[in-house]
Amino acid sequence: MQVSSHVRPPLVTGGKTYHDVTNDISKHVESAPNIRWIAAFTVSFLTLCYGLFCVYRTLWFGIGEWGLNKTVGWAWDITNFVWWVGIGHAGTLISAILLLFRQKWRTSINRAAEAMTIFAVLCAASFILAHMGRPWVGYWPLPLPNTFGSLWVNFNSPLVWDVFAISTYLSVSTVFWYIGLIPDLGTIRDRATNTISKIIYGALSLGWTGGAKDWSRYEAVCLILAGLSTPLVLSVHTIVSMDFATSVIPGWHTTIFPPYFVAGAIFSGFAMVLTLMIVTRAVYKLEDYITLEHIESMNKIIILTGSIVGVAYITEFFIAWYSGVEYESYCFINRATGPYWWAYWSMMTCNVLSPQLFWIKKIRRSIAATFILSIVVNIGMWFERFVIIVSSLHRDYVPSSWAMFYPTYVDVGVYINSFGLFFTLFFLFAKFLPVVNMAEIKAVLKSSSGSQPVHH
Amino acid sequence: MLENNKTYWKGIEELTQTPEFVANAKQEFPDYLPSESENGGHYRRDFLKLMGFGVAAATLAACETPVRKAIPYLNKPEEIDPSMPNYYASTYIDGGDYCSIVVKTREGRPIKIEGNKNSSISQGGLSARVAASVLSLYDKARFTAPQIKGANVSWDELDGKVAEKLKGKIAVVSNTVLSPSLQQCINEFVVKYPGSVHVSYDPNSASGIIEANEKSFGVSALPSYDFSKASVIVSFGADFLGTWLSPIEFNKQYSKTRKLGKSKKEMSRHYQFESLMSLTGANADFRTAIKPSQEGLVISNLYNLIASKSGAATIAVGEVKDIKFLQKAADDLLNAKGKSLVVSGSNDTNVQLVVNAINNLLGNYGVTVNSSIPTFNRKGKDADFKKFVSDLKNGGYNGVIFLNCNPIYDSAFSTELKSALANVDLKVAISDKPNETTAVVDFVAADNHFLESWTDANPKKGCYSLGQPTISPLFKTRQAIDTILKWTGSNATAYDYIKTYWSTNLFPLQSEKSSFQSFWDNTLHNGVFEISSSSTVSYSFDITSVSSIISSTYKSASQDIEYVIYEKVGMGVGSQANNPWLQELPEPISKACWDNYVTVSQKFANEKGLAQGDLVKIDSKTGKSITLPVLIQPGQAQNTIAFAMGYGRTVAGKVGNNVGQNVFPFVNINSTTASFTGSIAAITKTGETREIAQTQTHHTMMSRPIVQESVLKEYIKNPSAGRYEPKIKTTEGIEKKPTDITLWKTESLKTHNYNNHFWGLAIDLNSCTGCSACVISCQAENNVPVVGRQEVLNRREMHWIRIDRYYSSDAQNQEDKSVAGLLDRERENPGENPQVVFQPVMCQHCNNAPCETVCPVLATTHSTEGLNQMTYNRCVGTRYCANNCPYKVRRFNWFSYYTNKKFADVNPTLMDDLGRMVLNPDVTVRARGVMEKCSMCVQRIQAGKLAAKIESRRPVDGEIETACSQSCPTEALVFGDMNDSESRISKLMNDENKERNYFLLEEINVKPSVSYLTKIRNV
Amino acid sequence: MKDKKHYILGVFDDDDVVMHAAHDVRHEGVKIHELFSPFPIHGIDDVLGYKRSRLPRAAFMFGALGLTCGLTMMIWMNGFDWPMNVGGKPNAPIPDFVPISFECTVLFSAFGMVGTFLVASNLMPWSKPDILDVRITDDKFVIAIDLDKNKKSKEEIAALLWKTGAKEVNEKEI
Repeated sequence: MQVSSHVRPPLVTGGKTYHDVTNDISKHVESAPNIRWIAAFTVSFLTLCYGLFCVYRTLWFGIGEWGLNKTVGWAWDITNFVWWVGIGHAGTLISAILLLFRQKWRTSINRAAEAMTIFAVLCAASFILAHMGRPWVGYWPLPLPNTFGSLWVNFNSPLVWDVFAISTYLSVSTVFWYIGLIPDLGTIRDRATNTISKIIYGALSLGWTGGAKDWSRYEAVCLILAGLSTPLVLSVHTIVSMDFATSVIPGWHTTIFPPYFVAGAIFSGFAMVLTLMIVTRAVYKLEDYITLEHIESMNKIIILTGSIVGVAYITEFFIAWYSGVEYESYCFINRATGPYWWAYWSMMTCNVLSPQLFWIKKIRRSIAATFILSIVVNIGMWFERFVIIVSSLHRDYVPSSWAMFYPTYVDVGVYINSFGLFFTLFFLFAKFLPVVNMAEIKAVLKSSSGSQPVHH
Repeated sequence: MLENNKTYWKGIEELTQTPEFVANAKQEFPDYLPSESENGGHYRRDFLKLMGFGVAAATLAACETPVRKAIPYLNKPEEIDPSMPNYYASTYIDGGDYCSIVVKTREGRPIKIEGNKNSSISQGGLSARVAASVLSLYDKARFTAPQIKGANVSWDELDGKVAEKLKGKIAVVSNTVLSPSLQQCINEFVVKYPGSVHVSYDPNSASGIIEANEKSFGVSALPSYDFSKASVIVSFGADFLGTWLSPIEFNKQYSKTRKLGKSKKEMSRHYQFESLMSLTGANADFRTAIKPSQEGLVISNLYNLIASKSGAATIAVGEVKDIKFLQKAADDLLNAKGKSLVVSGSNDTNVQLVVNAINNLLGNYGVTVNSSIPTFNRKGKDADFKKFVSDLKNGGYNGVIFLNCNPIYDSAFSTELKSALANVDLKVAISDKPNETTAVVDFVAADNHFLESWTDANPKKGCYSLGQPTISPLFKTRQAIDTILKWTGSNATAYDYIKTYWSTNLFPLQSEKSSFQSFWDNTLHNGVFEISSSSTVSYSFDITSVSSIISSTYKSASQDIEYVIYEKVGMGVGSQANNPWLQELPEPISKACWDNYVTVSQKFANEKGLAQGDLVKIDSKTGKSITLPVLIQPGQAQNTIAFAMGYGRTVAGKVGNNVGQNVFPFVNINSTTASFTGSIAAITKTGETREIAQTQTHHTMMSRPIVQESVLKEYIKNPSAGRYEPKIKTTEGIEKKPTDITLWKTESLKTHNYNNHFWGLAIDLNSCTGCSACVISCQAENNVPVVGRQEVLNRREMHWIRIDRYYSSDAQNQEDKSVAGLLDRERENPGENPQVVFQPVMCQHCNNAPCETVCPVLATTHSTEGLNQMTYNRCVGTRYCANNCPYKVRRFNWFSYYTNKKFADVNPTLMDDLGRMVLNPDVTVRARGVMEKCSMCVQRIQAGKLAAKIESRRPVDGEIETACSQSCPTEALVFGDMNDSESRISKLMNDENKERNYFLLEEINVKPSVSYLTKIRNV
Repeated sequence: MKDKKHYILGVFDDDDVVMHAAHDVRHEGVKIHELFSPFPIHGIDDVLGYKRSRLPRAAFMFGALGLTCGLTMMIWMNGFDWPMNVGGKPNAPIPDFVPISFECTVLFSAFGMVGTFLVASNLMPWSKPDILDVRITDDKFVIAIDLDKNKKSKEEIAALLWKTGAKEVNEKEI
């Protein structure tokens, strides 16, 4: 009665039984951390510490510690914010959209991807706070009455839209991720040997039993959450793009931004997922769960989104010329030929040209190439945001105010800080929670595994 | 901080006499008078002072520093109401610079200087330096007591020691003395000690003109000029709008001839022949760059061109080839006989003689220039000073008294003087703040700041001006007149002395006031006393005699690289070098601050392989050398370089010390006059670089309709010439004005209405000369922080109003809007001798403000009177508003400018408690991390509305002025209520200059409340 | 102190087998207490005769609530409670309110539904589940039959379970 698909190669290799699956995944949670993990964690923690020093300088002395000026009021801060949010999107897309499309290959990566989403969005949020002149009143953009009575927030402001979008996104993805964790936490609870983990995982698993009724509700919930997350994730980057699209600054005031930003988000997100998964796969020896198939399918999505982004860049140029608006046209010519030409062309190379290499099957299926390209893509996407923000601001309407932006070491440090935060959180997750969704793997094991589960 | 407070509290013991004071105050002085007699005044001011410190403390509280205790009045002086400003007419004097002013005091602290409309000279105008001088009152570097060899002593001790040595010949050295009383008192002193002399010199000397006038008219003084009567103005290197003689007056007069409108369709035509791009040159209709070595010849040639046409004798000098516009200028002058004016900034007597000859030939005397009404802004004679120095060397004097002058720094004789002083017995300096000269003398008689002194001035024949103290001395200082009187053996006080002088010399000159007291009170109230005088002088000089000298001194085409020493609008001769406002004031042309530098033309730079910021060593042919950074300056004459005086002070104070380099050693002394030009032997790259802090680094408009300009011919044909009227094609295919397109179709949703007032500013780009008085005035009014060189380099200057300066590119394809055209780098090239436009830009108070929409916390919203308001304490500092501001007028508080030690040296107005006394209590000091910007002086609007409300009437047009519009010497900025059809601004915008009126970036439909009038050139 | 429950557990190790088993057992008229599995088995609801979950409806209701709250909040705050002239716009410009309305919808709907689910399935940090077999969450499929709720005898049911392919049959009292 084994149904083994002949159309697709197996998603899980090495003839695993249900029990093997449980073991392979849970052992990392149960056993003491291995040396590779400790090394990786220490590095990211040290990075975090350096970053925190720069954050301290920013908070103590003021935004003046950064390279911003009267003309360029945003640079690395919002670039990093948009970049991280973008990265976040892949997680949700993988778990939500691929779930809706019943893409089984997602199963072994969605857990880590969702975790990545949450941490990335946390990093993004950290920049919202850090870029404020007075972070200690950072809660004022929430719809609370001001200290003098009932002056509320300005619902016309895209920044308030951001506040709602980001917080909704963060909380909903967290819930989505947690619901998915419950059965696996149950597994860990039931395997737990010492009382502490019994208690902790017992509490975390919310008393999951695995009864058929719960499972049916569980599936309904996951499906609807997926259904909600899909438009949500699209709306989030749409709203982020509106920070720029609703402004009057040439190069920002562009109706193409929403789709273009969303594509960019998926693009960079998938790249980030790849980077992480290739590392985790190596560190945890999960080759049987994260196979070349996964990597290849993700590379295909990268080609697609990469090309969409490329088309968007070209469209911008066409419209700038077609609009006949001088400021607009100059803005784009300035991007490509002005003082920031290098940023623009790095963006073009990394985002539009490099992904095209994936048309070649060899590269698409090469771990090394994928790893490098996935990083290249994220560099490119960082430059995309930098180009949009800085090259539009530094030469806008009135030439007398044109200026250049030069980052300080604090700018760099605050960016590094977000990396520290991200990886610290990610490694903690990888240590204390199952990185792969065991229940889902088991569910697809038979239909898609290389061999039949061995009976004993 | 504490010990300083102790200093300030010194007046306290006088408190005890309170009751008498009130009594005195009651009987002695009429209520309407803002000021009273010596005694009353003094006690009153002590109260003001106490209250002052109270409020200073309160102001500090606003700066989130611990609140110190505020002292309430024990007995309230009648005319002082806490939180109500008092205005006192007074007089600004700095060397030969003069301005009649009104001092705004709050609780006894002078906090702002504004123009006095009663003066026929300054006519309510102000200059950056005058506006900034209030801050030098609160300068920590000032002397706090008399000093002997650098140690504070009591006055008795000083007077004693000085008296011992006061014998034999004494030389009193000063800059121009504008005060007749002080002059008389010096004369008495000189008489007291036989053989003594009074020598006056000016660092920015004009003795060439004085001598020339002596020869042409027998009047040894400057003539008075009236540009307002001139329809053709030709200036040879005279920066009369920026720094020459009496710029405020000249700005007033000049702008009258430049204004246009429905009822006035003619304007003056202005030619400028100069070596460096001066403020005046920037305003000229025709500008030609000439080398200093050509000047004499060019002027003589102009003379010849005119003479030959009007049958007068010509000067036998060689012809200078291809001086652009010279012939045209000559023709225009001839067509405008009797209503033209030729001036020259040269300090060469012979050149000035030719200038006089030209004006005489054109019959300008008695109309646009008048030697029978001399002016006294410069009295110094270089010859006298030269003689004094040599006499001093030969031990000609037993003592020298330097009276508020600094020859060790700002004269060409610095080194000789120093050595000569070594063997002088008595070395005294009377000065309010330390300088290079006080550093080399034994005795320093600490002088009052002019805002602490009684003074008078006589800047022009028949124009007298009175200055009253607006605060009693902060320190143990004594004003110069008192000191000299004391040393002359008199016990009179300056107040009595001046009063006596006026009663004996000036009171008789008038008739309408019968009693002297009422005459005195009236003058004190008005600040000025003016009488018309009618005397004539006749021209008598044979100009042909100068030919030989001129042809020997000047060359038509010298191969030398020549230098010019010029004066900056802000820094002047450097007497206010310790004033951070002036240090940070962008030079109107180069937009550079906190430095001096050597300006060269692009062509020259290319030839010598120089780039902006390269440090170059300049060796003069006279063996002087200096190292300065290079600044590429369009309009600079080829093979000439220029550097500014007033920098490189070494004994000025924390702010001014070692900013830039001192170029006074480069001043040459010819036979009788100082020359501010010369030739250099070599200019060599040092290999190092020094970035120049500029507030504007892009110099062209990129052919965008930012400053919309046209020429007079076109304007006469079509008043809206040069206007850019954007049209947008809508989806229905109709062309609409951007302002007619809105998302909110239904009436209820249309934009908000302003039913009461609707404040606005109209800026006439034709009148704005770029003098920058508004910038400082705004800074003083609104407590705008100074950020220092490094932060300016970081492009973080905080000025709420900036004056954009654009060079019109020589590029041909200006109108080419195609991609190719945009790609054309030529648009970014200002060219070799560009036309220049100035555009003051402050918050435009958009009625569809992009900044308001994007603020998440409603920290910036729109008022019901059309103001774009910033709520500092609600701001969270996202900077989104600044990004979304198309005019980039918003300023962010990157640091805590009032606590961050980084700014301690440059920002005394916020950083030290003495400097903080200048803060305007009506304006919040902004916290770190909040956005700020021009509020259209909402506090002044509010005050005006209240004043009107108390009298239950509507504010009258003109009674409310913003700081910038108030200080503008050319009335280029007109503020008013656009709802009031009778207001000047409404008339300007809707009637007189309807067609010239435009909004900046109209096409993005932000609907500003600030509008501009097109720039029209008379070419 | 509630009285103990008495279960018979059929332990299987394959999802397809347990599905048939469940079907047969119910066919024999035995009431199944619950079927436990390490992962969801598709189609098991019908076999056990469970009705479709009403959670989607809950989600919709919460979403609708969110939309209303969001819009009301914005229109009231900016339009009525403290109207301001912001960039010359109307006080309550509906187009500007679209994004937040949407976010509120999603937020309410997601949280409402998940809350309902947790409550319905009594999933709380403090809830003490009856774990009939620790291997359920690993690789075993268990059919639990409550003896007290069935007329059939213990032996009959056990036999039935063996017949349907159970690998073990255990008895458990909780």
